[in-house]
Formats: sequence, C-alpha cells, structure tokens
Amino acid sequence: MRALAICLLFAASLARAADPGPAVGARTPDFDLADQNGQRQTRAGLSGPKGLMLVFFRSADW
Amino acid sequence: MELQANLAKIREQQLGLAAISYDSPAVLKNFAGRTGITFPLLSDTGSKVIREWGMLNENVAANTPQFGIPHPGTFILDGNGVVVSRFFESDFRERYTASEILVRQFGAAPGSPQTEMENRHLKLVNSASLAAAKWGQRIALVLDVDLKPGMHVYAPGVQGYIAVDWSMAESPAVKVHEATYPASQQINLPAIHETVPAYKGKFQIVRDVTIGTDAQVKPALNEKGELIIHGTFRYQACDDRTCYIPETLPLAWTVRYEGLDRQRAPAELQRKAPGK
Repeated sequence: MRALAICLLFAASLARAADPGPAVGARTPDFDLADQNGQRQTRAGLSGPKGLMLVFFRSADW
Repeated sequence: MELQANLAKIREQQLGLAAISYDSPAVLKNFAGRTGITFPLLSDTGSKVIREWGMLNENVAANTPQFGIPHPGTFILDGNGVVVSRFFESDFRERYTASEILVRQFGAAPGSPQTEMENRHLKLVNSASLAAAKWGQRIALVLDVDLKPGMHVYAPGVQGYIAVDWSMAESPAVKVHEATYPASQQINLPAIHETVPAYKGKFQIVRDVTIGTDAQVKPALNEKGELIIHGTFRYQACDDRTCYIPETLPLAWTVRYEGLDRQRAPAELQRKAPGK
C-alpha cells in the first residue's frame, strides 16, 4: 500500500515537472550573466540571425 | 558532449547556442576544459534567471546543495526572445535511481516519457514501454502527438500531401517492426473541394522494436550501459488557411540494457566438491 502511495506521489511530481518554463509563443525575460570566461553575455549578444538555442542543465559539478 | 558535437549543425541553422546552470564561472570553466566545450556556459549562481523563467526544480529539498537546479530543457528563441519551440527530456535515469527498488518490485517502469517536444504545430511525447530491457525483448515505442487547435496533419496513403512518417535509423542492435498508425478521419478542405485522410487533435502511433543479442547490443551501448535508438517524425501541418513547411523532428529513446549483469557461471562451475 505504501509502495503504491510512493509510486503515485512520484508520478504526480513527474507530471508537475512536465511543463515548466515559458510556453511556445511567450516572450522571455532578457538576462545578463557571466560565462565560463567571466565575459558578460546577454540574449542579443548570444543570438545568431535566426535566434538562440538556450539549454538549461542541472549542473556541471555532479 | 552532444551539444558540442552538433555545434556546426546548430550554427548552420543560424542559431546561437548557450547553456545555463547554477554553477559558478570557475566550475563552468573546469567543466568546459574537461569536456572540450567551446560555446558559452552561463553562470546563474543564485538561480535568479532560472527562477525568472519558471524553471526552478521545486521537487528538490531546500536544504540540499542541489537546490537551485533547473528542470533540464531546451528553448529555441527567435530574435525577440519569443519561444519558437521547447524540448524537454525527462531524465529517466534520475528516476530510475530514485525509485530503483520500486521499479524492480514492479518488474517494469510504467511507460516512461522520454522526450517532450513542442512547437507551433504540435506537442509530441515519445515513450517506451520499458525503461530497461533485456536481449530478445520486444518493447513498444510510442509517439503521442497532440496537434494545436486548428491544425491537422495527413495520414499515410494521402495523395498529394506529405503524410506523417515515423522512420527509425538503421541499427545493428535492434530489429525495428512496422509502425501502427491509427485510423484517420476524413476531413473536408473547402478551399480545394477535397476530402482527405488526416489527423486532428490527439493521436498515437506505436511500433515495436526487438532488442538484439548481447553480441549485437554491447558494441552499441554508451558508457552508462544504455542503448540509444534514433528515429525521425516527419509531417506537414496545415490549418484551414495555410500549409506550413514540412518538418522533420529528431527522436531518441534511451533504454537501459540489462544483459550485462546476467552473466553467471553455470552452477556446476561455481560449486567445488569438498576435498577436490
């Protein structure tokens, strides 16, 4: 019974995680962040003629 | 690192490429050095941008070092910062580790969604009936397509339009079976006085793959013992006024291969008779 409850809770948390972040068609906030070389980067600066592919990843450390 | 390997292709699409995490610039520099990454890795220590974008993973406990990580995902933005498409891969390896005992007790993971992709025309989720498989097992790969309101795509057998087509890459590690497409609806296109077989709303396509023998699969595994199966989904979406450019979406299924730790010496060899 407890195993089933854990399973359902897990499935529910996975479902909530399914649609995070801005939707297709949404405008996103700009940013100004340092990169690995200490250089400041903004969306405009990073974008190519057709735009930008931005990848959110968990960590470079673990 | 797959992104670095695809950097040239991404540049060909005239897109910039950057990745963002909550690591410090020093950690990112070390990571770039180790992995050979040359594109910008953005340091969002404090997860300010991650939070602004609504990407903070709130399933992580606040008192752990992992708190602040984002949900992993990729956005394609146009020149104005508007989201053109989004690509989310649910990392079932993380899931497998967290619920390993549960998965083993139940014998198989429930259909674990592998990738979610969304663009102007549709949302697509691909999944596999098992997250981990053994040699010889036949598993089902599933594509769940959810077309945006007003959109339709064409069913196989249509004349004069590009029908949906799910194809799989050749691989010595798996045998690919025919896809089963669902029944289509006849839709009326008044502009050209035609009725054509099409899909609207949600539909699902299923195809089986049979995992090969140890000898066939082992050379294809990555260092984590996973088999990655590739395919593509081609379609042309139309609404009642326009047909959009046909698209080919890349698909990948990651299946953990369970052949490796099943090698046991035959019982006769394991037991040594006393005194021998």
